[in-house]
Amino acid sequence: MKKVTDSKKISKKNIAKLLDEWRQEFTVLVPWRDETVAKWARWDGKDTSFLDWYRNTVVPPKAIFFPPMEEMFSFQKDREGYHLELPASDESKQLIFGIRPCDAKALAVLNMTFSDAYEDPYYLAKRNGGVLVGLGCTNPYDSCFCTSLDSSPTDSANVDLMLTDIGDDFLVEAITDKGKALMAKTSLAEAVTRADEARAKDVKETTYAKVTKKIDTEGIKEKLLSGFDNKDLWEKIAAKCISCGICTFLCPTCYCFDINDELVKNQGERFRSWDSCAFPLYTKMPMENPRVEKWRRLRQKVCHKYVFYPMNFDVIACTGCGRCIRLCPVNWDITQTLDNLSAEAQVKMEK
Amino acid sequence: MKDGGMQQKLRSEAKALLEQGKVDYIIGFEAGSLKFTTTPLITSDKDDIDRLVINPFIVNNLSVYLSELKGRAGIVVKGCDSRSIVSLLQDNKVARENVVILGVPCSGIIDLGKVEKLVGKDRDEIDDIIQDRDRVVITVDENRREFPIREVLFDNCLGCELPTPQEYDILLGELTSAASDEDKIASQKKINSLKNIPPEQRWEFWRSEFDRCIRCYACRNICPACFCDRCFVEETEPPWVLPVPRWQDNLVFQVIRNMHVAGRCTDCGECERACPVNIPLRSLTREMYDMVDELFHYKAGMDKEASSFLAAYEATDVEDFIR
Amino acid sequence: MAVSDISHRPRFLAKGNVYLPHIAVIEKIIDETYDTSTFHFNFKDEKLREEFTFESGQFALVSILGIGEAPFCICSSPTRIDHLECSIRQVGRLTRALHRLGVGAEIGFRGPYGNCFPLDFLQGKSLVFVGGGIGLSPLRSLIWNVVDNRDRYGNIDIIYGARSPADLCFNYDLEAWDKDKTVNMVTTVDKGDESWTGREGFVPQVLEQVAPSASNAVAIVCGPPIMIRFTFPVLEKLGFTPEQMITTLEKRMKCGIGKCGRCNIGNIYVCRDGPVFSYAQIMSFISSEY
Repeated sequence: MKKVTDSKKISKKNIAKLLDEWRQEFTVLVPWRDETVAKWARWDGKDTSFLDWYRNTVVPPKAIFFPPMEEMFSFQKDREGYHLELPASDESKQLIFGIRPCDAKALAVLNMTFSDAYEDPYYLAKRNGGVLVGLGCTNPYDSCFCTSLDSSPTDSANVDLMLTDIGDDFLVEAITDKGKALMAKTSLAEAVTRADEARAKDVKETTYAKVTKKIDTEGIKEKLLSGFDNKDLWEKIAAKCISCGICTFLCPTCYCFDINDELVKNQGERFRSWDSCAFPLYTKMPMENPRVEKWRRLRQKVCHKYVFYPMNFDVIACTGCGRCIRLCPVNWDITQTLDNLSAEAQVKMEK
Repeated sequence: MKDGGMQQKLRSEAKALLEQGKVDYIIGFEAGSLKFTTTPLITSDKDDIDRLVINPFIVNNLSVYLSELKGRAGIVVKGCDSRSIVSLLQDNKVARENVVILGVPCSGIIDLGKVEKLVGKDRDEIDDIIQDRDRVVITVDENRREFPIREVLFDNCLGCELPTPQEYDILLGELTSAASDEDKIASQKKINSLKNIPPEQRWEFWRSEFDRCIRCYACRNICPACFCDRCFVEETEPPWVLPVPRWQDNLVFQVIRNMHVAGRCTDCGECERACPVNIPLRSLTREMYDMVDELFHYKAGMDKEASSFLAAYEATDVEDFIR
Repeated sequence: MAVSDISHRPRFLAKGNVYLPHIAVIEKIIDETYDTSTFHFNFKDEKLREEFTFESGQFALVSILGIGEAPFCICSSPTRIDHLECSIRQVGRLTRALHRLGVGAEIGFRGPYGNCFPLDFLQGKSLVFVGGGIGLSPLRSLIWNVVDNRDRYGNIDIIYGARSPADLCFNYDLEAWDKDKTVNMVTTVDKGDESWTGREGFVPQVLEQVAPSASNAVAIVCGPPIMIRFTFPVLEKLGFTPEQMITTLEKRMKCGIGKCGRCNIGNIYVCRDGPVFSYAQIMSFISSEY
């Protein structure tokens, strides 16, 4: 009996038309690159060549909702005192076309952080109007390890619409009501055949197997905590790190930020900007700094992602996108560290 | 470079240094976790020594780790890196007796970015990259393609002024000759093209480049010459630049950083390589390097006995800029 | 000053953008020591002045717009709410700029954030306050809170010290508590000067000499880390269990609401889960070094 499915398909030749339809209602953001960097940018209305080169961007899509810097408010001082003004709110709704499952899962993590206890108005104003159209991978990097973190290169869990590359077409699954609404409006969607579905299933399985890098997250919290005070071990792990911000800034789940003020005569702004637990100043107080040593900062980064964040939110704050490994100037590899720590903990436990 | 023999020699020398207690640890390269990548190996364990490698991908300037040095290190350096050590010696950041310099004569490091552009594939889609003297063989999907080696070497390798370390304790191989004039010109192509455009256009170019900067400080942290305990960007009284990645702050940060490393920068190119958004930082650092050479006839890290360029005063110093 | 009962007031939470500071005006500045002053201020907005409440132990993010923002504990008591007070020590750019402000100047204020001293837990118990230097600041809010509701608590001992007489803060409060017969006020300095006629000795030592009873008692400790390090063992010796010892922790803070990440100790955020912690909680932290 043929399985009833909500899936549709859209020909790759029609993607430009589809994006154009969506452009009437949304600001459409697509993967974009020049000779220097691959990142997310407004679709120019014509070019869909990103479908050829796109594996993943360097700058993650978190930069759309949580940009490297943003103005929190501006102020002016006159004889009556201070007058504060919030930045003009961007009313447009954004549609992110082609977000990878690892990045979409990371956005789900950011959602939790920015809506927990106190709501972060800057992030949520942008995110709540945002629509995520996911694009499953077909060509994962050798640095990807999403399959070890409760996900897969074709995972549809955290997007509104999910596209799977089945050759000349994309299979389209509506995941949320937002996604269903989008599909209902377009005439470009075609019916899906059994062969299409079989192809999609095959693509998903094949791509899953292409992810070769793996970590073992079984008992990772206990393993990391057991070695927490092992200074010699962490010093060795951190020896080659140069404490720059590349891994944290380009990580799609990292969200630490700094708040700084600018003042020119009687006016100025308060900004928030990306900050990193790798920087020495991050925790510096006037009289002391609990993380002067590099190894403590690196330990914080690893443990925050794999122990502390899961203790609060039940999910590891890492989605295996591999950017930190690809872009680290000294090729510090978190998967190697986790393996080493696991092994150390195992040895300790067997003693 | 003939790396097979050098690698063996390195491993035996490094092991001996540790076993004889002449150093507390070895700083070298080992195979990275990604294809065609190496990564620094910093170890005091002689069982790790067999992981040391020498190949055309040993790009890092390991002397960056000497500033936080505690104890004595045996360090593997190429010609350019050894100049950084000399520069650190001049600034008294490192004591000569605390380093055993294992010199590697280098005929250039392969820039994976250039390789990727040449074959139109990402690094992990390439089967093999093999250097064969002055040619490189790149295999993709079992198709072999050959290119002249200079098409895949880093720009600053093309103009290399010191392929073989002058200052060393153990030299691991044969001497290599310096770059030809033609190669030197090729290494400056990007920089010279910038010099030839009018100032307003150049300003616009840099303004848009620094728009991309995310202030990760990889350029500063990977630079051996940036060894200040407290960088000027961390100063709040007064706040010279905001830690906010506005293009103005980014540009000023980089310009001041260049001023601070003038006379210490050896054009190793690590800043540009480390930049995750590919800002052509060498175009600034090399400009500063050339200015220092032109005005003061000084190149960092060439003469161990020379006093630190900006930190010392000689009676014969040029003075006509002071009235 | 009108004293009011705060036991049943709801937790105040400003509406709207949580990062937007309210404007407050400095009404009075009291110089405590050569580098510390207490600022009295009130919100410019009348409605906010009426609605605002907080609890002892909470902090606020005080800023000079254009200079920066930093956390300061609210050292006035919620029982005396005709104005708010923060004690500020000059240690950096913002605090030096704050000290250059005069009466009438406007500052940014957002809060209150953090947890608070557990009044329910403290009720009916004897309280031993142990403070050092500027560490009296968060304690002070609780002390006045408790004194203004005196019949809810048992014995009250206040043991407070500073390096020298010139470093003693809140002298006017020390005098008032000294005069108060229902409170045992013990002031000490590490080293006196020629005019000092009071007690000499480090706070932990004096605490041991005063030897307050641990029976149905809670110790609330606040001061420089070294003082706290030597105070906890003395309290243990006197019979206080880790649950009977409370302190406040300090961390670099920017957002104050557990989002910017920097004030964490393991999975807890000092700004959101603290700054008030019991020693029992601290012992359960991820590591002894944090």
